[in-house]
Amino acid sequence: MTDFLQTVVLGTLLGGVYALMGSGLTLLFGVMRIVNLAHAIFMIVAAYIAFYAFELFHIDPLVSVLITMPAMFLLGLAVYLPLFPRIEATPRYVEMTVLVTFALTLIVEGVLGFLFTNLVRGAKPGYTTDALLAGGIYIPVGQLLALGMSVLLLVGLWLFLKYTRIGTAIRATMQNRTSAQIVGVNIRRISAISFGLGMALAGASGSLMSYLFVFYPGQHWRWVALLLALIVLGGLGSLKGAVIGAISLSIISSFVTRWLGPDWSSLTFYLALFIILMVRPQGLFGKTMRI
Amino acid sequence: MSDSQNPATVGTTAPEPSSGGRDAPTRGRTSRRVALAAVAAIVLLIPVMPIPSYNYALQLGTNALMWVAMASSWNILAGYTGYISLGHNVFFGIGGYSAGIALAYWGISPFISAPITGLIAMAVGLAIGLITWRAKGPAFIVATIAMLFVVGMLFDNWEFVGASAGMSLPLPPFPVDTAKVPFYYAMAVSAFGAVYLAYRIAHSRFGLGLRALSQDETKAEVAGLNTRLYKLIAMSLSAFFIAVTGAIWAYSLSYLRPTIFFNIGIATQMLVATIIGGRGTVAGPVVGALLVVAVNEFSLVQFGGTQLNIVVNGVILLAVLVFFPRGVVGSLREARKLPQFLNWD
Amino acid sequence: MPLLEVDSVVAGYGAGPPILTGISVDVDAERSYCIIGPNGAGKSTLLKVVCGILRPRAGEVRLNGSRVSGMRPDQLLAQGICFVPQDQSLFAEMTVRENLTMGAFLVKERAVVNERMARVFEMFPVLQERSGQLAGRLSGGEQRMVALGRALMMDPTLLMIDEPSLGLAPMVADQIFTTIRGFRALGITVILVEQNCQRGLEATDWGIVLDLGAKRFEGPAAGILDDPRIRELYLGSMCRRDVE
Repeated sequence: MTDFLQTVVLGTLLGGVYALMGSGLTLLFGVMRIVNLAHAIFMIVAAYIAFYAFELFHIDPLVSVLITMPAMFLLGLAVYLPLFPRIEATPRYVEMTVLVTFALTLIVEGVLGFLFTNLVRGAKPGYTTDALLAGGIYIPVGQLLALGMSVLLLVGLWLFLKYTRIGTAIRATMQNRTSAQIVGVNIRRISAISFGLGMALAGASGSLMSYLFVFYPGQHWRWVALLLALIVLGGLGSLKGAVIGAISLSIISSFVTRWLGPDWSSLTFYLALFIILMVRPQGLFGKTMRI
Repeated sequence: MSDSQNPATVGTTAPEPSSGGRDAPTRGRTSRRVALAAVAAIVLLIPVMPIPSYNYALQLGTNALMWVAMASSWNILAGYTGYISLGHNVFFGIGGYSAGIALAYWGISPFISAPITGLIAMAVGLAIGLITWRAKGPAFIVATIAMLFVVGMLFDNWEFVGASAGMSLPLPPFPVDTAKVPFYYAMAVSAFGAVYLAYRIAHSRFGLGLRALSQDETKAEVAGLNTRLYKLIAMSLSAFFIAVTGAIWAYSLSYLRPTIFFNIGIATQMLVATIIGGRGTVAGPVVGALLVVAVNEFSLVQFGGTQLNIVVNGVILLAVLVFFPRGVVGSLREARKLPQFLNWD
Repeated sequence: MPLLEVDSVVAGYGAGPPILTGISVDVDAERSYCIIGPNGAGKSTLLKVVCGILRPRAGEVRLNGSRVSGMRPDQLLAQGICFVPQDQSLFAEMTVRENLTMGAFLVKERAVVNERMARVFEMFPVLQERSGQLAGRLSGGEQRMVALGRALMMDPTLLMIDEPSLGLAPMVADQIFTTIRGFRALGITVILVEQNCQRGLEATDWGIVLDLGAKRFEGPAAGILDDPRIRELYLGSMCRRDVE
């Protein structure tokens, strides 16, 4: 029984982080129909920022969220504004966003690789080796803190979306873009802000990633595949779906790791993806897509 | 984002009106045939010509031909139907590994087993198509990436072929001086085959259906097209020459290893080449492949390592997407400036 | 001076063919209008151009003499131009009340929003009953009322409604048209696009016939269906019948 609970706990701890990572992606798709293949490489950019903040200035990765979020928000605006409004009128827009973000991926990955090489990095603040013991269950402190931060940010996101004017405008745009336009939402502005927000979430994820996992530029494909599988499963454009998908897959994957070893854990996400695509292609909470 | 209440009918691009009168089309076609035949002849004759840096040139040529084959095949699915696959080199790996196993355990030369590996890949393509039967747009793309990772993982853990460390293959029995020549010709066969397949599809009713599908899938379905079957067939056909190329490549490397064959960078190259050249056209992937190989060689010489090389690819791709979304061949065609000898559609 | 002038507008979607082919229409503040015409004539497209969702490729739209074409929908809304799209125009995952509040998105003063909402509830009591329900769960007629109510929240000067009775049973459609007639009394200039010509024209003053992206002719709503030109052009078959 303890063993079972332990696996569930480990799965939940990571699930929160995956949910945070997935939420940024979902926001971009929900508001602007952008499939951001570059999400993971941008997370890694933030991870490098957090890593060097720690190595050079001893800024704790959790605290570095205060740096990475605004930095990535601005980077998001810098990336969005020159590119995406231009391609808005393209037929097959969604696929265009895939190709464009793909090109961005190459550029950023190349630059990162050039600057930092493919040397594996990982920040090591003290708590990466600590663990709590509660009722016979071993809870790594680093992961617990990460979960805490993820929950904090996700709740913050929820509050922002529900209670602020901009948040409401974003929600409206996600639900019905045309109607949002006609009630006076400035779609241009909201799109840019949403992109920045999505990137800020990637930034926070990157800070967490810097000490939770080892990272290097070439690794981003693994992350992208995982996260995309997660949000397709949850339903493209559904934040609720992303969170639920993340936590449930993470727990299942935790069990798979327990039985088959860590190499196979990502398999869970992919198999779940294939099953969902055959059974319910719009995902758990998604609506049938108009491309 | 297009507000698609577009009542416009599903159009297919009309055949290019040729310049000039009645005779011009025939003359144009003949001169085009002559030009193409000349190019083909040059390609085939290169290995017997005394060129400086012979081995280097041959290797470069082999690379170029390889990417022509791969990009043209990728285009059959992604260009003609619009379904972008980021995991297409899964067939490359299947081709390579199948041929490698046949070579290592039964001594069969990959030059002979290549077409068989092509058929195996087609079967796998059918399977993948069935799994992704209902997936559209982004869901499909994600599925192809996942597919690549899953198959890669399987090979990574398959002891029979050496798992992640891979296995070496028997060396080809060719004399050292001319060792590269057979591979050059083998790749040439693959390249010509792939381009010819793409050409035949483009000029068939099947190809017409694919184009209709890519413009508006719902309308095509409503018009009676069995879109799912078409997609399945396109996926399957696109696998053949990619596997053949993989088989040849495995033979030339004399080594099998998952990271070589299942690394997403290969799918990346297929995409970059096709988009830059012009997806949906027959000549596009060819032009794109040649450009990509040229650019990569140039970057290699200029920048040494491969990281900035990736940046260059990305920048060019981005520039093409934003300014010339139809690629070199497509944009030229639109501007009516496409030289006849590249107009293979 | 007409409230709205559409001057030789050419418009289409994406890179596709022009749907509006140089249309010119004048709208007076005192009248209410119904635009009729066969499918593909450009009726919805015209509304979208006026409200700013679609940019014209040529020509101009003027409001009270000054140019408004090319402005964004939110800018036009501030000038009183409101649009109720066909079908599926609500925020499905928001409640009725939230949908209505969204109508007054541009209004900063709470008091004004509350006042407008009170008026809407007065006009549509059923919405008050259902104010806490998710808009996506309501019946077709109720959803249409929410859409109209939301439009009222925008305090429109010019209200354009695309197919108000689409998919509704005759009795429900009746209610909707009565409501629309009521807007006239509130001083709102209404422009309807209706495939169900009979009812649309009964609810308005002036009819405009569109075909192939341009205005063919116009006239008092009451007699326009009897105009011999309609018979000639459309064999009387351009209007959707009521669902019996």
